[in-house]
Amino acid sequence: SGELYCSLPNPRNVHFESINMKNVLHWSAPEGTGDGVLYKVKYSVYGVGKWIRKPECKNINRTWCDLSSETSDYEEQYYASVKAFLNGMCSDWMETTRFNPLTDTKIDPPMVIVSSTEKSISIILTAPEKWKRSPEGESISLLQVYPGLQYNVSVLNKKTKKRWLFSVSNNTLVVPWLEPGTAYCVSAQIYVTTPLLHSGFSKEYCIATLKDKTA
Amino acid sequence: TAGNKIFHFGSCRISVSVTEIRSGFAAIKANIQARDPIRTLSILSYPHSLHKVKSSDRCCITYQLFNFYVDKVFKHCKTEDSYVNRKISSIANSFLSVKRKLGQCHEQNKCMCGQESTEKFKQILANYEGLNVTSAAIKSLGELDILLDWME
Amino acid sequence: EDALLPAPQNISILSTNMKHFLTWSPVIVQGETVRYSVEFQGEYEREYANESWIPICECSLITATVCNITEDISATVAYNLRVRADVGARRSEWGTLKGFFNRITTSLTPPLMKVIADGYHLLVELEDMGPAFQFCVLYWKKGQESRMQQKVVKEVGSVVHLDTMEAGPEYCVKAQTYVEAINRSSSFSQTQCVRAQGGRSMWL
Repeated sequence: SGELYCSLPNPRNVHFESINMKNVLHWSAPEGTGDGVLYKVKYSVYGVGKWIRKPECKNINRTWCDLSSETSDYEEQYYASVKAFLNGMCSDWMETTRFNPLTDTKIDPPMVIVSSTEKSISIILTAPEKWKRSPEGESISLLQVYPGLQYNVSVLNKKTKKRWLFSVSNNTLVVPWLEPGTAYCVSAQIYVTTPLLHSGFSKEYCIATLKDKTA
Repeated sequence: TAGNKIFHFGSCRISVSVTEIRSGFAAIKANIQARDPIRTLSILSYPHSLHKVKSSDRCCITYQLFNFYVDKVFKHCKTEDSYVNRKISSIANSFLSVKRKLGQCHEQNKCMCGQESTEKFKQILANYEGLNVTSAAIKSLGELDILLDWME
Repeated sequence: EDALLPAPQNISILSTNMKHFLTWSPVIVQGETVRYSVEFQGEYEREYANESWIPICECSLITATVCNITEDISATVAYNLRVRADVGARRSEWGTLKGFFNRITTSLTPPLMKVIADGYHLLVELEDMGPAFQFCVLYWKKGQESRMQQKVVKEVGSVVHLDTMEAGPEYCVKAQTYVEAINRSSSFSQTQCVRAQGGRSMWL
């Protein structure tokens, strides 16, 4: 179709927001335009010739478009682009910088499961999964994507207010010789040395060691 | 974190300060990639990704690529931005250090070049020579993370 | 005609724990403010880039006689460094560091370390010495040096858990820094010994 007259201001700040390789394109509406602006989106694999339209994001009025499916191969890098339309006018195509899913994604904290005995607490850590197309799809742990993935585990004794830090490579940690009948709060973080990536710390999971039966 | 990494290419074992190289590249990635308007061609990944290289050929292709960057690429990447130039110097000197180590493996016949790596490297040179030298050098520098991701 | 401005002298490197500083003696010009500019040249520049020099903009036309070159000395190769002086329109020749500087020669000091016994738990807190550093921590039951255990610690500024202790014997700890980029370690810190706290033995 013939191109419209493209003097509409451009969409702004076109960029990928990626968490656990769920890669969503975001942008801001063109300056000075109220409601009624529609957008269309295209993407391309770096080094490959053509731009590919995203039909589910054609003539949309929202300012995001989920391109996770199209950018799921993290051995490739990508560009995406957005064009705005309003009252018969259009903007230029506005592109992202080059997006590398492997280094540009953010990682969620691990899942933390805590149990206790009288004198110890056991911690099981689970790294988040890479985004997948559908719940039935194959689950890929970020551990497989980043083989050097490790965990920092923080254990807070609520009575003494002292906090200890453990650095573990496998996903279980047992802290023995604790005080019976004492509350401990655990939170954990993922870190990868190369590429340098780390999650925030998870929320705290608190549990008390059982009371000393002999006391 | 320190982030040196020991790479095992068969009997060739080298330590590479990958984190230093990656942080140097991360500091200039947006600047350098913005200078490369050509989306339709990749020096390292066209037509086939480095990930298709057989593991037995990995040492040689790595050795050839570090030579390629030191001998051909960095010297044509000078910019008007002194901060970018300093980061390029830091990456170039780190690459020179690694090139030396790989060179020792090569001299000790621990980094043999097979048919596939020779073909792949020829393709990379063809991609490089298909562009004018400055565009080719800037595009190659902008693809450093493709090389590092593949190495790791 | 103005006398030629002398080039800076006594140019030297102070390098400790992977922090590198270039220093030189001031050029004295009565009643004038002398400013200095620093440039570096790595092995790459010497061998592949026509012996080009790269200016350090944080040390361009400065009045101090010291320049932090840490960020630019970021490869384990031989670097050249040079300084020149400027007073108004007058400019000196370059004064160049005698010999090369390679960060592999940095001096490494033992880490500041605090050993803590918290119940039956042996913990250590290490100072933050920068991203290039890891710590090799050795710990053993006093008198049983032959059964020394080792842990590589990368976390700094936190109380890091080493191991659990039996009630009764003293446990001793010492640490050294390790810099992967230059594959060198410091000497060990002073040994510190602590004993498990809490009355009952672990085996009750």
